Amino acid sequence: MYKHLFKLIWNKRRQNFLFLSEILISFLVVFAVFSYLTYYYKNYIKPLGFDYNRVWSVSYNGDRLSKNADSLGIFYTNLNKALQAMPEIEAVSFSSSNYPYSSSFISTGLTQGGKKFNNISDFNVGNDYQKVWSVKLVDGRWFTPEDLISKNKGIVINETFSKELFGTAKAAGKLIGDFDDKNKFKIIGVVNDFKANGDFLPANNVMFSQLDTTNLKWASTLLIKVRETAGASFESKLYKFMATTMRSAVEIQHVDEMRNAKNKETIIPMLLFIIVAGFLIINVALGLFGVLWYNINKRKGEIGLRRAIGASGVSVSTQMVLESLILATISVLIGCFFAVQFPLLNVFDIASSVYLIAILLSVLFIYTLVIACSLYPGRQAAAIHPAVALHED
Amino acid sequence: MMIRLKNIEKVYRTATVETLAINGINLDIAKGEFLSIMGPSGCGKSTLLNIMGLLDEPSKGDIKIDDQDIRSFSDKKLAHFRNEKLGFIFQSYHLINDLQVLDNVELPLLYRDSSAKERKALATEALEKVGLSNRLKHFPTQLSGGQRQRVAIARAIVGRPQIILADEPTGNLDSAMGNEIMNILINLNKNEGTTIVMVTHDESMAQKTHRLVRLFDGSQVQ
Repeated sequence: MYKHLFKLIWNKRRQNFLFLSEILISFLVVFAVFSYLTYYYKNYIKPLGFDYNRVWSVSYNGDRLSKNADSLGIFYTNLNKALQAMPEIEAVSFSSSNYPYSSSFISTGLTQGGKKFNNISDFNVGNDYQKVWSVKLVDGRWFTPEDLISKNKGIVINETFSKELFGTAKAAGKLIGDFDDKNKFKIIGVVNDFKANGDFLPANNVMFSQLDTTNLKWASTLLIKVRETAGASFESKLYKFMATTMRSAVEIQHVDEMRNAKNKETIIPMLLFIIVAGFLIINVALGLFGVLWYNINKRKGEIGLRRAIGASGVSVSTQMVLESLILATISVLIGCFFAVQFPLLNVFDIASSVYLIAILLSVLFIYTLVIACSLYPGRQAAAIHPAVALHED
Repeated sequence: MMIRLKNIEKVYRTATVETLAINGINLDIAKGEFLSIMGPSGCGKSTLLNIMGLLDEPSKGDIKIDDQDIRSFSDKKLAHFRNEKLGFIFQSYHLINDLQVLDNVELPLLYRDSSAKERKALATEALEKVGLSNRLKHFPTQLSGGQRQRVAIARAIVGRPQIILADEPTGNLDSAMGNEIMNILINLNKNEGTTIVMVTHDESMAQKTHRLVRLFDGSQVQ
């Protein structure tokens, strides 16, 4: 029967061209949607690497502060002590402007064994940064004040980056060159991967370095982990305190709200894409349904003949569904040829598994769509009375 | 008896009209008989043939084919029965234009447990019988009306059915082609012992058969 159906489809290839094109375009659109969703889902299920709850960021302008590095160091030490003395505050850390969800990016490069590693997020942080974000160490330790006087500046990197650099060997204690490989950093610790750009985006390779007197003037953010008791009145009190102390306007943001805003930057386009693709799929489904319905009406004589020469209602219905599935298979195979180029050519630098999962989901989706759209017309074909069909033709 | 019709009635109903197409037909057709049915248009000839071919159900009455009561048959069993016992020839041939001649003839065998090799051999043999062994790879649209009807006959006989039901097989053909088709049917009946029931408008064709049944307004008048 399959050989017979292939012959029939091949001999009607001109009539089937539109059907094939429709399925092929649908497959490619669905593949794009599933690639998009798989990519975001795979990022979403990965751990965040830190805890954003009850973390506030206080941005300030340090222009009016002393330009003298030592005086500035003393100023920040006192400010830190004053903040930590507040009962509503659990931990405080100074930070460069590129903290999680801040939409500020500072990147650098590192050199290991002559090989350059670029686009590494560079976080300049205070000693209590780990406490503020509850960052988990998987190897080594976090910064201590003593690290400021060590020969090689200490850095902390993330786990994936550690594996890229040293494989399964422990990274803590190893030296690594800066971008020009002129100075050596000492890796003192390795932390969990750090998804600083939102739940749906991948964790970049990161490098934490300690804020010292030379770069303290660049610090423009205070990150504060507050206790559960901290409310609006404390926020107001903190605002007044910071504005007075820094002699500038300050902005306090709740990081959980920043996270929501950051995630929306991904979710809203994703929803729009799904809605547009959804409308397209509905149109395709209606189109398929219409084409199959039309085919059945056009082929009433053939259906009547098949019934007369020995086809049962079920076999007529099965034939209609099988023909659709064979046509869908031809389109899906062509679609897979194009889709498989994405992992082969490493398009958009996305893991191959994302594309392969998307191909699998798209194939399943197209077959489900085709079966759903051909079942009812198939049943209608089975219900055609042979005598009526033969008479009409 | 190969076909036995007892008090067959067929009524077509719409919301407002009830039409009696067949009115109390009793007919016995013996094995190996060649019977023709004649009558004016709309007298119920084709309806009767469809009932004999199990393509339509009578509103009333009994029908037995090869001594089997087919009323209790499921759709699947009925389809199988049609495939094994009956062959159909239609005035408008009912060939599938997208399939080659050989594939058209193989069609009834697709609904049986037969291998592709076996199907091809049987279809080729059937086409040889109707003198079309040189047209296996042609499409129906590349054939004349007479050749198309011969393909339809080959399709009807390929499964070696005991009964052939022909609905105006020469109706679309000129007299020469019509005679050619008629000779094939007569030979089939004579040589293979196939029971043939033929609906026709052509008196001369009907005269060539063993028995003639005339219908008028759904009733048998001869």
